[in-house]
Amino acid sequence: MKSTNLAFFGLFGILIGMLSGLILSCAAPLPRVALFAYNLEDPYIASFVSQISDQVGNSFTLETYDARNSQVLQNEDLELAVKEGVDLLLVNPVDRLSAYGIIQHARERDIPLIFFNREPLATDLALWDSTYYVGAQAIQSAVLQAELVASLFGGNPQSLNLFDRNADNRIQAILFKGEQGHQDAEIRTTGFVETMTTMGFDLEVLALEVANWDRAEAYDTSGPLFANFGSQIELVVSNNDNMALGVISRMRQISLFEDTNQNGRVDQDDSGWIPVIGIDGLDEAVIQIEEGYLYGTVVNDSNRMATAIAELSRVLLGQRSWEDFPFPLTNEKYIWIDYLPFSRGLP
Amino acid sequence: MPKQTASLGQKILLSTISVVGFVLALASGFYFFFFSQTTGNLIDRQSREITKQIIFNYERYVDSVIETANYLQLLVTNRDVVIELSDIQNIFELNTEIKRDVVSIMLFDPQGRLVVGSPVNISATTTTLAPWFVRARQEQEIFHFSVGPSINPRLPRQEDVIYVSRWVQYRNRGVLTNGLLLIELNTEVIIELSEKTNLGDFGHILILDDTNSLVYSSGTGPIVEESYAFIRNRFLGVYRHFLDPIDAYVNVNSLAQTRWRIVTVLNITEVSQTQRRVFLVIGAIFLVSLGITVAVAGLISIRVTKPLSELRRIMASIEAGDLSTPIDVGGQKEIVQLAHSFEQMVSRVRELMERLVTEQTEKRKTALRALQNQINPHFLYNTLDSIVWLAEHDRNDDVISTVVALAKFFRISISRGETFISVADEIEHVRNYLTIQQIRYGDKFHYTMDIDPQLLEHRVMKLILQPIVENAIYHSMGDDQDRISIEGVLQGDVMIFRITNTGYGITSEKIREIRDMMMGLVEQSSVGLKNVYQRLTLYYGEKADVDLSSILDESTTVTLTIPLEIPEIQGTGGHE
Repeated sequence: MKSTNLAFFGLFGILIGMLSGLILSCAAPLPRVALFAYNLEDPYIASFVSQISDQVGNSFTLETYDARNSQVLQNEDLELAVKEGVDLLLVNPVDRLSAYGIIQHARERDIPLIFFNREPLATDLALWDSTYYVGAQAIQSAVLQAELVASLFGGNPQSLNLFDRNADNRIQAILFKGEQGHQDAEIRTTGFVETMTTMGFDLEVLALEVANWDRAEAYDTSGPLFANFGSQIELVVSNNDNMALGVISRMRQISLFEDTNQNGRVDQDDSGWIPVIGIDGLDEAVIQIEEGYLYGTVVNDSNRMATAIAELSRVLLGQRSWEDFPFPLTNEKYIWIDYLPFSRGLP
Repeated sequence: MPKQTASLGQKILLSTISVVGFVLALASGFYFFFFSQTTGNLIDRQSREITKQIIFNYERYVDSVIETANYLQLLVTNRDVVIELSDIQNIFELNTEIKRDVVSIMLFDPQGRLVVGSPVNISATTTTLAPWFVRARQEQEIFHFSVGPSINPRLPRQEDVIYVSRWVQYRNRGVLTNGLLLIELNTEVIIELSEKTNLGDFGHILILDDTNSLVYSSGTGPIVEESYAFIRNRFLGVYRHFLDPIDAYVNVNSLAQTRWRIVTVLNITEVSQTQRRVFLVIGAIFLVSLGITVAVAGLISIRVTKPLSELRRIMASIEAGDLSTPIDVGGQKEIVQLAHSFEQMVSRVRELMERLVTEQTEKRKTALRALQNQINPHFLYNTLDSIVWLAEHDRNDDVISTVVALAKFFRISISRGETFISVADEIEHVRNYLTIQQIRYGDKFHYTMDIDPQLLEHRVMKLILQPIVENAIYHSMGDDQDRISIEGVLQGDVMIFRITNTGYGITSEKIREIRDMMMGLVEQSSVGLKNVYQRLTLYYGEKADVDLSSILDESTTVTLTIPLEIPEIQGTGGHE
């Protein structure tokens, strides 16, 4: 009997040890937050995610999942993370329509959600109170682009300045659309056209090209356009900097950028200079603006966006109150981060 | 008695069973846990992979549909639909011909009028009220997927089609105008894709739209209703669920770009069955092992406890007085040693007891002899006295009778030292006594004697009747009709002697006193009754009795009850 007792005590001791280890490891747990990026191979998303994780600091543990551009993988990651137990979901959806299922799933389990980068449908966001979207309004980037163009052409639609090369008081433009059917691409494209019209400018779209946000594709597709329209083109508008840089490569290749006034550099004062405008504020775009090839861009204030996501996370995790939340909340759902215009001469 | 605790056997059994049971349960529990976890993970991974493959296929199809739609959208934006109407119409028709899933393509203006594309069998107003129209106008940024009857009258069969609708801008005489692009798809590809994958018997695919309506089901029968009901409120994730008649692995996922849900139901009954079988096998092993343990532990406990209980039985027998019980116990060394020690102890006890019995017998014999000897001197003295008296009065005949009677009396009294004599001798002894007393008292009393002849041959302790008769004579003296009757009868296995004397009688209180005296409870000098009573009980035990009864002013009776059987007492009939 003695040895039996010993054996029992031994087993008991082991069990207690295991239990206390478990309890200790659970002591004072940080809230767990899972971030789902649509594709970390996208440099913008990768840098944005690291900005978010910088902003988060030690407030909570942040686990990042890469969907590799597949909604199915993202669904699986998300479902498993939810099963393991997370306190908050930060979602950059691969397919913005799949937000519907994600929101329903999170609602069933009472886990708050912050979407970013790709905006779900308003009807889907309305499905559940604890769903938010942090991002920029695509239309704003189009408006800022239009404003930059308007100021370049003298601001007066009735009498355009010398950038209206053929002096017909119309602006002949070619448009580079990011992706057919892509929400941002559609809004940026139509938004630009509509804003120009609203401001009274007579915009003639010579061609609308879809280059899938891609620099090389823009370079390829712009070749025939310049061949067809040649000197008719007075403006190149791109949904992002990447495609704008591709078009600039093509334009430099066919020698559209010449230092005609011999001032030692390419700039708007050279005759035949055609303005190209993008969106995003990539590092290379900023350099090309400095060098005079790119007229301007609209900067996505990703730093401020990351701050907003981190702050909103703290509020939703109960670490901070809504009163201390430094961003305006629109319709109880949206935190809009303004785009910033950027071109030479602007700060 | 101290608190009853479990027996040694029970303790051995219980502790063995609990230790082995605990370890077995732990081992089989862990084994089954890891087994089911491993198989569970395996089936989980496999199911996910299968499901992923299915969804990838559907996504690719949706992508191709959207690509077509994007192409058409770009087409109507970049080319003038009104000016190049026939070209556009041709392209539309070409697309419906090339792509076997595309059955019709239409472009409507905001009023629902057909601008270009396949013919339509509904009015413009009906068009604007169709859900695919209304929703596309509400949410203009996306393609809307819905299901319904085709509106193209040229289709050979009026079957349900998938509508892909979107609010677009088209070029109308150089001006971008709003409109609605509608593509109708048949379900051929969707069916084909579902047929490509093997989901097991009863496995199927469901596609649900965002209003929870069933768009497509590859399965049939009640199981579809069951799985449909099960996933109505589930939007993502994998669930293991029993869908009659199969154990199913239900995977709910979104179908990208459509707001639809795609649900795959896999038959994993085989896995569940394997898990159940393993559970049963482990359970059986557990039970059999436990059974064997119980049997072995039981055997051991019996081997330990059986000699012990045998020893206990022997002890109980010895406790009850049977010291001669043989102590023969086999089994473990310790128990044999114990039994041996016990045997030595018992034999020592037996020795002591035998010595005690011998001593007691000797003591009793001595006491008896002393009691017998008490009687004689007194009587002898009186008789000698009366003989002297008779001689002085020249009653020679009486002297002779007396002396003869006395001689006989003593011969019987001595009886060569025998304790037991025949009843005839005992009666003769009393007669001699009475003769002497009658001569002495000058026939002042009468006596009758009535003895059953059957009694005469039996043996009885000697000198039993004489002291009682002596008492009777003494107590009947002075009465006018003093009479003594002596009766002897055989009653079963006992002899009854009644000695009755007439007289005043005695009260029942006095009788009690006398009894107490006889038993030695009260010290008193009266010797006759006490002497007889003690001698009788000394030899015969409780079967013998001396009883007194009396009728006041009439008579007193002493009844002796003596068993026929003479007790075997060591040392009786010894020499004298």
